Amino acid sequence: MILTGVLLAVLGLGLVGWFAARGRARLLYTGRGSMHSMPAYHGWHLALWIVVPALVAWLVWQAVMPGLVQGAVFATPAAHGLPTDPFQLGAIVAEAQTIASDPGAVAFNPEAQALVEPFRAAQVKFGLIGAVIVLIVAFAGGAFGFTRIRPNFKARTHVERLVLGVLLAASLLAILTTFGIVASLVFEAGMFFKDVSPIAFLTGTHWSPASTMGDNINNNFGAVPLFWGTIYIGAIIAMVVAIPLGLMSAIYLTQYATRDVRKWVKPLLEILAGIPTVVYGYFAALTVAPLIRDFAASLGMANPSTESALAAGLVMGVMIIPFVSSMADDALAAVPRAMSDGSLALGATRSETIKKVLLPAALPGIVAGVMLAISRAIGETMIVVMAAGAAANLSANPFASMTTVTYQIVQMLTGDQEFNSPKTLSAFALGLVLFIVTLILNIVALRVVKRFREAYE
Amino acid sequence: MTEAKITARNVDVFYGQKKAINDVSIDIDNGIVTAFIGPSGCGKSTFLRTLNRMNDTIAGARVDGQILLDGEDIYASTMDSVALRARVGMVFQKPNPFPKSIYENIAYGPRIHGLASAKSDMDRIVENALTKAGLWEEVKDRLTDAGTALSGGQQQRLCIARAIAVSPEVILMDEPCSALDPIATARIEELIDELKESFAIVIVTHSMQQAARVSQRTAFFHLGSMVEYGETDQIFTNPRETRTKDYITGRYG
Amino acid sequence: MSKSDWNSPEAVRRLAKRHAAEKRFKLVGLGAIVLSLGFLALLLVIMLKNGVAGLDWDFLSGSDSTDATTAGVWGAAKGSLLTMLVTLLLSFPMGVLAAIYLEEFAPKKKWIEWVEVSINNLAAVPSIIFGLLGLAVFINTFQMPRSSPLVGGLTLALMTMPVIVISGRNAIKAVPPSIREAAYGIGASKVQTTFHHVLPLALPGILTGTIIGMARALGETAPLLMIGMRAFVVTPPDSLTAPSSVLPMQIFLWSDEIDKAFVQNTSAAIIVLLVFLLAMNGIAIYLRNKFEVRW
Repeated sequence: MILTGVLLAVLGLGLVGWFAARGRARLLYTGRGSMHSMPAYHGWHLALWIVVPALVAWLVWQAVMPGLVQGAVFATPAAHGLPTDPFQLGAIVAEAQTIASDPGAVAFNPEAQALVEPFRAAQVKFGLIGAVIVLIVAFAGGAFGFTRIRPNFKARTHVERLVLGVLLAASLLAILTTFGIVASLVFEAGMFFKDVSPIAFLTGTHWSPASTMGDNINNNFGAVPLFWGTIYIGAIIAMVVAIPLGLMSAIYLTQYATRDVRKWVKPLLEILAGIPTVVYGYFAALTVAPLIRDFAASLGMANPSTESALAAGLVMGVMIIPFVSSMADDALAAVPRAMSDGSLALGATRSETIKKVLLPAALPGIVAGVMLAISRAIGETMIVVMAAGAAANLSANPFASMTTVTYQIVQMLTGDQEFNSPKTLSAFALGLVLFIVTLILNIVALRVVKRFREAYE
Repeated sequence: MTEAKITARNVDVFYGQKKAINDVSIDIDNGIVTAFIGPSGCGKSTFLRTLNRMNDTIAGARVDGQILLDGEDIYASTMDSVALRARVGMVFQKPNPFPKSIYENIAYGPRIHGLASAKSDMDRIVENALTKAGLWEEVKDRLTDAGTALSGGQQQRLCIARAIAVSPEVILMDEPCSALDPIATARIEELIDELKESFAIVIVTHSMQQAARVSQRTAFFHLGSMVEYGETDQIFTNPRETRTKDYITGRYG
Repeated sequence: MSKSDWNSPEAVRRLAKRHAAEKRFKLVGLGAIVLSLGFLALLLVIMLKNGVAGLDWDFLSGSDSTDATTAGVWGAAKGSLLTMLVTLLLSFPMGVLAAIYLEEFAPKKKWIEWVEVSINNLAAVPSIIFGLLGLAVFINTFQMPRSSPLVGGLTLALMTMPVIVISGRNAIKAVPPSIREAAYGIGASKVQTTFHHVLPLALPGILTGTIIGMARALGETAPLLMIGMRAFVVTPPDSLTAPSSVLPMQIFLWSDEIDKAFVQNTSAAIIVLLVFLLAMNGIAIYLRNKFEVRW
C-alpha cells in the first residue's frame, strides 16, 4: 500500500521536476543560439533523472521486501512452534499474508491467524523503510540532474540517447524470448534425458508415462506414437481438408469472383481464422465427433470411440482453411498478370490457364504456405485435447482415438505433480521436439517465400 | 484481296464510366503489316486488345460497335473467345515466356487446342514454329532448358513462336520491341517482315521509325480516336491531317 | 488453321468439352467457399441454438459454480480482463518501441538480422511453447504466483509482442520517406522526426495490428493451461496475483463437465467470447478503413 503511494509520489516529483527544469532553462535563455537544447528537453532530462533511479530502487525493494518481511515475522514469538514441513508452512504463511492484506478474509487456520498481526507490523515497517529509500534516491537523482542545467548542456542529446537505449532494449526482448524458450526447453529436456535415453525417446513405440516404476523406464517413453498421431492429424487429415478447400477458395476469389464478392467473402473467411481454438475443440467434441462415431458404427466397426483422429483432423483442417487460402492468395497475386495474359491470348480457358500456368508459377509460394500451415496444425493444442484422445495408438485408422505431442504436453503438466519427475519433464522434451520441427518448417518456408517474391520482382 | 481480314465499324471501348476508344472504324488486310502509332495513352493498345477480346479479362471493360473477322462478328454470342484467340494470336510488350521449358512453351498452345495427336506431330509443330520465328538454330540443342533462361530478344521470339504454333490467321503485337536492345529489335523487325507472308500482322509501336520500317499501312491514334489511316509512305511523307503531321514531325508525343 | 477447321464437328466437340471443364472448375471453386462458410455458419448456429437460452443477467454477472444453473461467466471474464490488461501494458509499448528501432534506427548488422529472424519465427511458434516458457521461467524460476493474471498476462505478452512488432514495422514502412525528409529539412533530429511525424502517421496501422494481436491472445487457452490458469473461481479475482481463470479456459473447463446442463453454459460462454472477439475485430477493421491513407 505504502509502496504504491510512493510510486505515485515519485511520478509526481518527476512532473514537478519537469516544470522546474523547464522554467529554470527558460530563465537561462538569452537569445537565439544561446542554448543547445530547448527548455522542454531540460525538463525531460531532469524528470528522467528523478524517475528512473527511483523506479529502479522501487523495483529492487519490491523484490527484496517479501523476504525481509518473512524473516522479521519468523523472528517474532508468534512464529514459534510452526510446522517445519515446508508445504504446510507455505500454506499457513500464504494464508496469513492474504488476511493481512485483505481485512475481509477470515482465517481458516488458527496458526495463520496468529501470524497476521506480526505480518501487518512487518509490512508497515519495511514499507516505510522502502518508501524513504525510494524518495531519497529520487531526490538525489533530481539534485544531480538539476545542477546540470546550463545553457551549453546537451540535454536533447542525453534524452535521445536514453530513448535509443530503451528502443534497443525493447527489440532485444525478442531475442531474449527466443533465448528463454530455447534455454528452458533444453534445460528441462536435459534433465529428462538424464533418466531416459534420447534414442529410446525418439524411436520407441511404447508410450505409457504413468507406469514409470522399475528399471525399464526407457521402454515407457517411446514417443513415436505421439509423433505419428501429430503427423496423422495435423499434417495429413487436416491438410487433406485445408489444402483443396483453401486453395480452391483462393483461386475462386482471385480469378473468378467480382470485386464485390471478394470484398465480402474474404473477411468472412478470415472470421474462420479468428475463432478461438477452444471453440473449435468444443465444436469437434460436441458435434463432429459423435457424427463420426455414428458413421464409423454404420460402417460396421465395433465400439468406435467418441474421440477420433478424424474428428480432430477435420476440424483442424477447417481452422487452417483461411490460412492456406490467404497464403495461396498472396502467391497467386505475385505471379505477373503477363503470365496469365500470355496463356489467355493463346486461346486457353481460365481454368487451363490456372492449372497449367498460374499454379506451376505460384507453386513455391503455395508450398511455403502449406509448410506454415502444417507448422501451425502440429502445434495446435486445444482441438486435439478436446477431440483426439489420450491413447497412444500407432494406427492408420482415422476412426481410432489418437494422441499427439501437444496433447501429451498438456496431460503431463496439468494437475499437481512433483516437478522433477520424468513424467513431468517429458513434456519439455516433447516441447523441444515440437519447437525444433516448427522452427525448421517456419524458417524454410519464410526463405522460400522470400526467394519466390524476389523472382517476380 | 476482295474482303478485309478484319473489319471494325464504329468501335467504342469503355472502362467503367470512362470512354477509352471513340468511334473507330478500320479495315485490316491480309498479307501486310498494319501499324498503330500515337502518343502513349492514345488508346492504340486498348484497340488492339479488342481485336482478340483480351479486354474481356479486364473487369468493367465494355466494347460497343462491330468487329468482323472474315465477316464473322467476334463479339457475337455464338463466337467462342477461346477459338477466336487461337485464330488471332498476340505478342506482348514484355516477353512473357511461361516458367516451363522452351519445348513446353511452344507445345502449350497446340496441346490445349488438341492440334497434335502424336508426339511426332508435336515435335514437328514445335520445330516449325521455332524455325519460322528464326529461333530453331539457336535453341534446337537445349529445348528442355527453361524459357526464362533465354536472352530478352530470344524470349520475345519464343513468344512469337508460341503464337505461331497454334497457326493463327492474325498476329497482334503490342509494342513487341519496347523492352529490347537495338540489335534484338532489328532481328524482330526482320522476322515481322518475313511473317507477313503467312499472317495478317497488326503492330502497336511507340517508335515512328519502326512503323515506317516494318509496316505497309499506318493508323494514327490520338485521344482515343483514329485520326488518320493510310499507306505508310503517305502517312509519313504527306499526312492529310495537321495533328498527324504535328506528331510525325515531333511537335508532341 | 482457319475458320472452317474450327467449325468441324470434332473441333466443336472439343471446345464444348473444354468449356464444360471450365464450368466444372469454377463450380468446384465456388463449392470450396460455400463449404468453408457453411462450416462457419453451422458452428455459429449450433452455439447459438445451445447457448442463447443461457444468456441472462445471472449468467453474465455470476462466477463459476459446480451447479450449472448458478454458474456464471463474470469471474472468468474479469480474469480475462486483468490478464489482457497486463498483456496490453507490456506488449504494446515494447512492440511499438521495437518496431520503431528495427525500422528507423537499427544498423545493418548481423545481430539485427538475428533479431528479425527471431521475431518472424516467434510469431509462428506454437502457443503451447510459450506456455512452457511461462511455466519454466515465471513460475519455476521467478516463483511468481501460479494461476494469476500477472503470469498469464506476461506469457501472452511475449506471444503477442512479435505480432505487434510485425504489424508496427509494416505501418512504419508505409510512411513515405518524403515525410522524414521534410522533417530533417527543417532541422529535426532523428528521434524528433520519428516521434513527432512518423509514429503518429503509423499509429492507426499499429493499433489495428495490436487489436488483432490482443484478440488472438484473448482466445488463447493452451499456454494458460500450462501455467495452471484453471482455478475454480467462485469469486471474481480482485488482484493481478489472485488465482483466476479466463473466458476460453472457462469454456474448456465446462466442456469437460459430465453434467449435460453445462452444455448450455459452455455454448453461452462461447457466444460471450465470440462477441468480444467480433467487436475487437470490428474496431480493427473500422480503424483500418477510417485512417488508412494511401500514399
